[in-house]
Amino acid sequence: MSAKSPSLLDSFKTSDNEALSIRARLCEVDTSMRGPAVLFLVSAVLWLLLGTFFALIASIKIHSPYFAGSIEEFTFGRVRTVHLNAMIYGWGTNVILAIAPWIMGRLCRTRIRHTSILITAGIFYNIGVTIGVIGILLGDMQGVEWLEMPTYATPLIAIAFCLAGVWVVLAFRWRQSNHIYVSQWYILAAFFWLPWLYTVAQIMILFIPAPGVVQSLTNWWFAHNVLGLWLTPIALATAYYLIPKVLGRPIHSYYLSLVGFWSLAFFYNWAGVHHLIGGPVPAWVISAGVVASVMMVIPVIVTAVNHHMTVVGLHKEGWASPTIRFIVFGALNYTAVSLIGSTMALRSVNEVTHFTHFTVGHSHHGVYGFFTMIMFGGVYYMLPRILEREWPSAFLIRTHWWMCVSGIILMVAALSVGGWIQGVQLNALVESDGVVVPAYTFAEVTQNINWTLVLRSLSGVLLTIGHIAFAINIFWMLGSKPTAGLSKATLLTESEEGVS
Amino acid sequence: MGWTAYILLIFGFASLFFVAAAFALNWAHRNGQLEHLDAGAASIFDEDEPLGEQTDYFPGKGGKSPISKN
Repeated sequence: MSAKSPSLLDSFKTSDNEALSIRARLCEVDTSMRGPAVLFLVSAVLWLLLGTFFALIASIKIHSPYFAGSIEEFTFGRVRTVHLNAMIYGWGTNVILAIAPWIMGRLCRTRIRHTSILITAGIFYNIGVTIGVIGILLGDMQGVEWLEMPTYATPLIAIAFCLAGVWVVLAFRWRQSNHIYVSQWYILAAFFWLPWLYTVAQIMILFIPAPGVVQSLTNWWFAHNVLGLWLTPIALATAYYLIPKVLGRPIHSYYLSLVGFWSLAFFYNWAGVHHLIGGPVPAWVISAGVVASVMMVIPVIVTAVNHHMTVVGLHKEGWASPTIRFIVFGALNYTAVSLIGSTMALRSVNEVTHFTHFTVGHSHHGVYGFFTMIMFGGVYYMLPRILEREWPSAFLIRTHWWMCVSGIILMVAALSVGGWIQGVQLNALVESDGVVVPAYTFAEVTQNINWTLVLRSLSGVLLTIGHIAFAINIFWMLGSKPTAGLSKATLLTESEEGVS
Repeated sequence: MGWTAYILLIFGFASLFFVAAAFALNWAHRNGQLEHLDAGAASIFDEDEPLGEQTDYFPGKGGKSPISKN
């Protein structure tokens, strides 16, 4: 690069710095982000494969409990927890750290500096998650959902979140764009929220534990906010950036997109306690959570209108783009899963769905059908640009697409039906000799829904095939040579000063 | 620390998120970020990736590459 790279100290100064105030071209941002994005993406894909493997084992064990039952490390409690942590922290957060800083860099239009901060964060983070997952397998698990990693692993993760947050704030501080695009708002907010959430939850739950039920309250404030203030904003930021970008058409109503962001920022944080409906928590706390959960209908509807109206009339074009296929499918699921989620927060519905497979189906609907599918779309757009290579195989992309779409639809359908039957039968009462007793025993209910759990395992096989296709395509691409003849392609033109 | 203190503490943290959002919204308003929304929506397009042009395709068949325009 022609301009001398400023030191980290220069970047922290509040005064304007000429070396940092240079507007970058998109291709320049893309190539500068190559190092950290590839590091995070490769880690994410490896975690995705590991998480899928443990998911399959956990799923099979639910309908065939003796499967691998004699191996201590492969008991259900550990396998299921390793799956969750490998997916949320391993796959989800790594893929976010690959895509979100790249989008931030593109939107800020500043020259990318200090990628070493991101790379350090990536190394710390993956060492932390690896130690955490091994700790869970060896039996050092914490009994707090979503915070199961042992405390000797989590400080590394907290440091990595803070480092990534600092990088994003620095990129934002030196932005060369006048307007702050809605995706920038989402990414900035998410990188500001997460280190805060994670640290508070770690301290209040694991290091200086709050007593009794307050621990659960903190737990669900944290766990639901990881969904709502980390996974959701990043997926929405990606959709808001890439849908208009790929189709070459601005977002349908930019005003609504801002309404959506600000209502999420104000209300989502309160929604998590709906997980404790029926629990021994002050009623006003639960009511606040229910109200906030229903308030979430506002950002959901405005986002739905925006995402779908932007695509209307361009379906053929969208179908021709892998990015749009995945992102639009994810956006459709965002609308569906959020409306179902708000309904599930109502006390009367929650009585049936709570503690059943319905909730498990709902989580996969959100984290997979919405978040992961959008992230797949983001990867399909980002990787060719940062590597200056084409995807090696359209067949593998199609395989990935069809397997994931059919797999997740089957999974959510099976678990929703099974979970609803389970909830209704567990609550059913009959009168026998003047005494009211449960209509079904727990064992009967379990047997009645077993067929849905077998279907869930089948859906897991479909998803596994999709993930393997995705991984092969990525590693094939990483190993191939840069595609010839792209130097003058629109998106990869060399800048006047030359790109290093 | 008692039960109530913890509830207030966690509620305090939740409230801080709310206050932070309020400050950010106020800043955005004063900074003019909530005006000229049409220009804002178009701000992601530029001479390299212009408005009205699709930028992503399946590789190979159809002759269009995901990264080259044509």
